[in-house]
Amino acid sequence: MRSLGAALLFAGIACAQPTVAPTSEPTGPAGGGNTAEYNVRQSFELGYRWRSVDGDLGAYRGMVNFGNGIRLLGSSLSVNSLEGRGHWFDQIQLNTQGLGNDPYQNALLRVEKNRLYRYDLTWRSTAYYNQGLYNQGLTNTFGRHSTDTVRSIQDHDLTFLPQSSFKVFLGFSRNTQRGPALSSVQLFDSRGDEFPLFTDVRRQQHEYRAGFELGMLGWRLNLLHGWVNFREDVPAQLPGFSAGNNPANPTTLTSLRRDDPYRGNSPYWRVALFKETRRWAFNGRFTYVSGRRAFVLDETSAGTDRFGANATRQIVTRGNAQRPAAAANVTFSVFPSAKVTVTNQSSLNSIRMVGNATFTQIVNGLAGAPFVPFTYLGIRTVSNATDVDYRPVSWFGLRSGYQYSSRRVVSIEDFGGATGSPIEQNNGLHTGLLGVRFRPVRPLTINLDAEIGRADRPIYPVSQRNFQALRGRIEYRRGGFRMAGYARTDYSTNSVSLANYASRSRQYGADGTWTISSGFFIDAGYAKLHLDSLGAMNYFAFNQLSTGSSYYVSNLHTATLAARFTIQDRVDVSLGLSHVQDRGDGRAAAAVPPGQVVIQTAIIGPQSAFFAAQTFPLRFTSPQGRVSVRMSENLRWNLGYQRYGYSEQFGIFQNFRAHTGYSSVSWSF
Amino acid sequence: MRWAGRLGGTLILASAGLVAQTPSFVGSNVCQTCHPANSSTFFRNPHYKSVAAGNQNPEQAGCESCHGPASAHLTARGGKQTIPNAFSLMPPAKIVDACLTCHSQTISRANIRRSEHTLDDVVCTNCHSIHRSQAPKFLLAAAQQRDLCYGCHTTVRAQFSMPFKHRVNEGTVQCTDCHNPHGSFAATWNMAGRPRMVDQTVGNEQPCLKCHTDKRGPFVYEHAAVRVEGCESCHNSHGSTNARLLKRPVTFTLCLECHNGFGSLGRQADGVRQQSSSHNMADPRYQNCTTCHVRIHGSNSDSRFLR
Repeated sequence: MRSLGAALLFAGIACAQPTVAPTSEPTGPAGGGNTAEYNVRQSFELGYRWRSVDGDLGAYRGMVNFGNGIRLLGSSLSVNSLEGRGHWFDQIQLNTQGLGNDPYQNALLRVEKNRLYRYDLTWRSTAYYNQGLYNQGLTNTFGRHSTDTVRSIQDHDLTFLPQSSFKVFLGFSRNTQRGPALSSVQLFDSRGDEFPLFTDVRRQQHEYRAGFELGMLGWRLNLLHGWVNFREDVPAQLPGFSAGNNPANPTTLTSLRRDDPYRGNSPYWRVALFKETRRWAFNGRFTYVSGRRAFVLDETSAGTDRFGANATRQIVTRGNAQRPAAAANVTFSVFPSAKVTVTNQSSLNSIRMVGNATFTQIVNGLAGAPFVPFTYLGIRTVSNATDVDYRPVSWFGLRSGYQYSSRRVVSIEDFGGATGSPIEQNNGLHTGLLGVRFRPVRPLTINLDAEIGRADRPIYPVSQRNFQALRGRIEYRRGGFRMAGYARTDYSTNSVSLANYASRSRQYGADGTWTISSGFFIDAGYAKLHLDSLGAMNYFAFNQLSTGSSYYVSNLHTATLAARFTIQDRVDVSLGLSHVQDRGDGRAAAAVPPGQVVIQTAIIGPQSAFFAAQTFPLRFTSPQGRVSVRMSENLRWNLGYQRYGYSEQFGIFQNFRAHTGYSSVSWSF
Repeated sequence: MRWAGRLGGTLILASAGLVAQTPSFVGSNVCQTCHPANSSTFFRNPHYKSVAAGNQNPEQAGCESCHGPASAHLTARGGKQTIPNAFSLMPPAKIVDACLTCHSQTISRANIRRSEHTLDDVVCTNCHSIHRSQAPKFLLAAAQQRDLCYGCHTTVRAQFSMPFKHRVNEGTVQCTDCHNPHGSFAATWNMAGRPRMVDQTVGNEQPCLKCHTDKRGPFVYEHAAVRVEGCESCHNSHGSTNARLLKRPVTFTLCLECHNGFGSLGRQADGVRQQSSSHNMADPRYQNCTTCHVRIHGSNSDSRFLR
């Protein structure tokens, strides 16, 4: 039973691991080795990745992005003091993945000395490649918004006296994003043209944290103060003469330079008080953050306007924006008996965004009068939620809940004229929830939930007004066999005068895992995610205002398969498959078929655009296989392969087939 | 007080004749005799701290701090029924109570009583394996956090298999970067209802802004929907078949679903601003809105987000 339990854990590792590397099979003695007063376990996996891509390399890089080269695919170091009273530390835990130029790298470190300190470090680096957003063949944006940046995030947390009633916290986080990107700009007037721009993304955020927690008489008081400093520099320039996106438009751009540094800081305070007893529990939290940003934009451009005349423009803006935000929560739980739990949470959130700037524009050498826009956006939300959980018997439970929320949105916009009058909108939401849990026999669990909500005056057409959700889940688990089924439907309608928006989402899933023995298991899963939404639209075409509708359908089917078996207690073989397919609304082509009825207007063009955009069938498949051979107790040789196939039914621009693989050695010493 | 409750339960068992006397604490060293596998590796367990301290009471240290006094179990020479707290036999509510005896004193678990997991009887031992964890931290029941969550959330696993997704499968994003499986405070966006298990940043913000710091603002010209309704107005946060995790494959269908000028919607109360008459939706150039409206999450320089 114990080995089966371990095998179940192992099955969990392999079955849901969609990337074939790093290798999950462990190497080295399970107990590690003792040295002095410590136990040490470590392993390294060094290997070589390769790839071969046929088709759209940009799309592959945007979705997968594994390349060629040597990698430290994974490493693990665990040092634990045998008596828990080490001299400088009691635990060091270090895990890494993908080091050595993988697009996805991470490292976790924990160093701890019992009762004295605990230090945690998390470091992550992700190399993103986003190619331009293609309109499935309707228009090619020529990669105007491509990005090729690296985002690195590191979090450091140090706690002094972690097991005492008085703890001190220190923390630091750093978030950077750097790399080239393509953007675009529209010049020189509203009927001008669009031009690609090269930008150099440089974003950086530092966060510093300090605080303490004090426990007394069963209560705990937690206080945290932090400072967030943000800076952004994304200078833009024109790579060369550009005729623009529209060859029929005489607007051209011969030079453009833009600098827009953006700086800011957001100090925050958090105070929390909580206590849990046998009969009740209380927790309260108050957070205040004041955000302030200052900016300057200096843009100079030259070219020809849509009439063919020389045009120059300089725009200078400067200003600042503030955003004070406060949030408070109070949660009170009572346990009148072992069968009943009642929890009530009240919350208040208030956020204001206030901005002002000076805008100056010089067009063809003539300076316009600077104007000072002012904007204000305030959001205040109050909510209260009560949940009751009742378990009359061990095999049956009942839960119910009710929540009321009230939101007030105030907006002021003054773009240089008279002070704008505040516009205010209030809306409320009532939500009710009812659920039951059955356990007719020990291995079988059934959960059913229903939620209904009614909101008045939703703020946007796509906001929820009337919605209901039904959820059900059934699971059978016995020994090494587990099967589960899941279903969920969400309906939402927002019908306001002429604007209708309705969405319907249905999700179904089933999965099963069978661990036949410690050396053999199978996992399979299927999920269907169906979404259809209908929304009304007002749009302009050929200078006429038209009304239409957009009916979007996404009909996703996903399947996963995984199997793992061991041969002769020496060779571990893992096989897997992930398949995603959106079947859309079933049509064969993107264009309006002949004879298709056009809604409401004789203008064919926009309806064709709507029709083509209403579904996007595609297929994304990834089979994989891995062999791991135990050469000795401390050495493994691994070989893996994973194929990625992406194809769009209506477009051919972004299809690709990629073969990736790796070979590695895992060792422990 | 809590261990007194357990002791009371044991007294009831005694009156039923299942144990000869009130069970008492015997010390963790006794457990090693029959449970050497758990004992020999317990020095790696975070719970070993209580043993290493050397000055904790038996009800606060070692095996009996979780499983209760072991004398009855010892007298009976084993059997789960004789363990006051045999977690594989305990009802979910009792498991939560047992673990929260010590672990309630952490702000990350402040909302565990209203957590969707707790209300659905998904409790501590469903996700944590105290004695057989392979995870580097938190004693998770799977080596990777995502594998644990995927075990129940099948549709979420499907979403992370999409072409465009957060890099959870690749290891640089974790479920707990955005979610608190122990429950979270009311959301500070949308109507403070859904989602119930999404954790805010320390500064009350949506978790998206932990990493996507350039979208935080504040901006002179806010795209109000981002602040009022949240990032999920336009994005599917797990994964999508659409680039940028958008809800629609083509930009203009996403934008025009709101920007239609209808009714008394929007913060202007005169309808969410519809597009300029200079637009011609029959022209493919106008079908990718962000070609011109580049600073769509908010701008300091242009009320139409052109720069």
